Amino acid sequence: MPEELAIRIEDLSISYKVSLEAKRTLKNAVMRASLKQKERTRTIEALKNFTLDVPHGSVLGIVGSNGAGKSTLMRCIAGILSPTEGRVIVNGKISTLLALGVGFNPALSGRDNIILGGLASGLTREEIESKTDEIAEFAALPDGFIDLPVRTYSSGMYGRLSFAVAVSMTPDILLLDEALSAGDAAFKEKSFERMRQLCAEARTILIVSHALATVTDLCDTAIWMHKGNLLAQGKPEQIVDDYLKFLNVGSLPSSFEDM
Amino acid sequence: MPVSEGFQPKIQVFEPHRASLPPLIPYLKEFWRRRAFATELANFTDKAEYLDSRLGKIWLVLNPLLLGFVYYLVVTIIRPGGNQGLTRLDHLLIGLFTFYFAQNCVTAGALSITAGGRLILNQAFPRALLPFSCALQAFRQFLPTIPVYIFILIAGKWAYPQTQVPGWTWHFLWIPFILICTGLTGFGLALVFATLNVYFRDTNKLLTYITRIWMYLSPVLWLPNSLKGHMKLLLYINPLGPVLNATARVWVNGQSLNKLTIFFCIFWAFASILIGGYFFISRERDFAIRI
Repeated sequence: MPEELAIRIEDLSISYKVSLEAKRTLKNAVMRASLKQKERTRTIEALKNFTLDVPHGSVLGIVGSNGAGKSTLMRCIAGILSPTEGRVIVNGKISTLLALGVGFNPALSGRDNIILGGLASGLTREEIESKTDEIAEFAALPDGFIDLPVRTYSSGMYGRLSFAVAVSMTPDILLLDEALSAGDAAFKEKSFERMRQLCAEARTILIVSHALATVTDLCDTAIWMHKGNLLAQGKPEQIVDDYLKFLNVGSLPSSFEDM
Repeated sequence: MPVSEGFQPKIQVFEPHRASLPPLIPYLKEFWRRRAFATELANFTDKAEYLDSRLGKIWLVLNPLLLGFVYYLVVTIIRPGGNQGLTRLDHLLIGLFTFYFAQNCVTAGALSITAGGRLILNQAFPRALLPFSCALQAFRQFLPTIPVYIFILIAGKWAYPQTQVPGWTWHFLWIPFILICTGLTGFGLALVFATLNVYFRDTNKLLTYITRIWMYLSPVLWLPNSLKGHMKLLLYINPLGPVLNATARVWVNGQSLNKLTIFFCIFWAFASILIGGYFFISRERDFAIRI
């Protein structure tokens, strides 16, 4: 892979089977087997022949309707999901915020949860402990809250802590899925600032967001995904504009009709 | 754009696995590298479990004590003529404690993947670390039962001086072997049930009955030498049979282990890890979709 690339995605397809049974239980499986029936399943093609290069230091926004395959793409880049076909090459340390409240046990304190989340992402205990206060400060937790059980946190505090943990890992590649919806306007501005700082350090960021202003404000390039395909790639303003037209009109622009 | 300061190239390639298993050496290396996560998760889960309890970690000792007392009542009431004094009580206690060590590995491990949903959706790490952490936690919960057992033995000897209790013997050096085999067997079976629970969410309900039946089929409430004829097979075809048989020989009778028992202890430990490991690792890429 060329050195200037952080991520290379080659002809990536991901498909998986989902059960059409109302509830998948052992009891139903045994009943089906005794009646020699097959389970009713449907194959979901989440990504289809997806190809993309992401250079180091770029901030890529990903837009698309629900079911476009955005989260699947992020999880595949993070190594959480495996490709069905094609391959993904990643160069650098990844930090992810794809589901809010990562590793968070509500009975444990914020500090304990930070340690657990950090260890899960591959850091050593010393590395995490040296960052704990910085994380608490960034998450703007009120005094002493870092040592209180997470179940006492408001949803905003919970979201801010998750985001603070993800950005504090000094990743080379940061993957964020709707993470910026956490927190109030002031925290959002602080998050933007932190991400701009990461960009200035030439770190690569991928952002999935339905808040299109986030994409135009933060990203230097954007892609539009539709039903598992890469529909368009370009300047964020242009992509967002096309996507908004699609949302208003409800059909794809004529140039995309073949997709 | 140039790469960031402090950037350390770390190329990772994600491809379809031609065989059903991912490359095993990198997987096991990553498992080992992140072992601190499993130990800390076990620590924190323990901490969270007893955080709201007034008696806190005293429950770690109270639980097995009460359990032993309940089963002792059951056994002496069911078989009033069969009470053999302390020999029966010490066998019952150490059998129960060892069985519960394995059972806790399996039942907590079975839930570890479905309970770790957000972690699994967000982070890439060897998923086997989650049931492994449950096995560590089960071992930690087992440890306080050893002084409890020794205390009861000493107290019993003091109360009933005629009861035979083995004094110190070098055969006790078999105990670490028995515990390692029990832990490995429990962890291997946890891998099987954790995978099943992802696909069939009622597995855990079934597990309640499986473990109950399993205990009745294991030499916990009955002595291994009470089996006659073909029934002796129970000691070998049951994955926990050999370790519980070994437990009775070493802990209760102060005897050494025979070759057959050693062989089956090792056999079930390896078989559980290999079968459980294959079943789990070959399907763990599916977990993020199924959860």
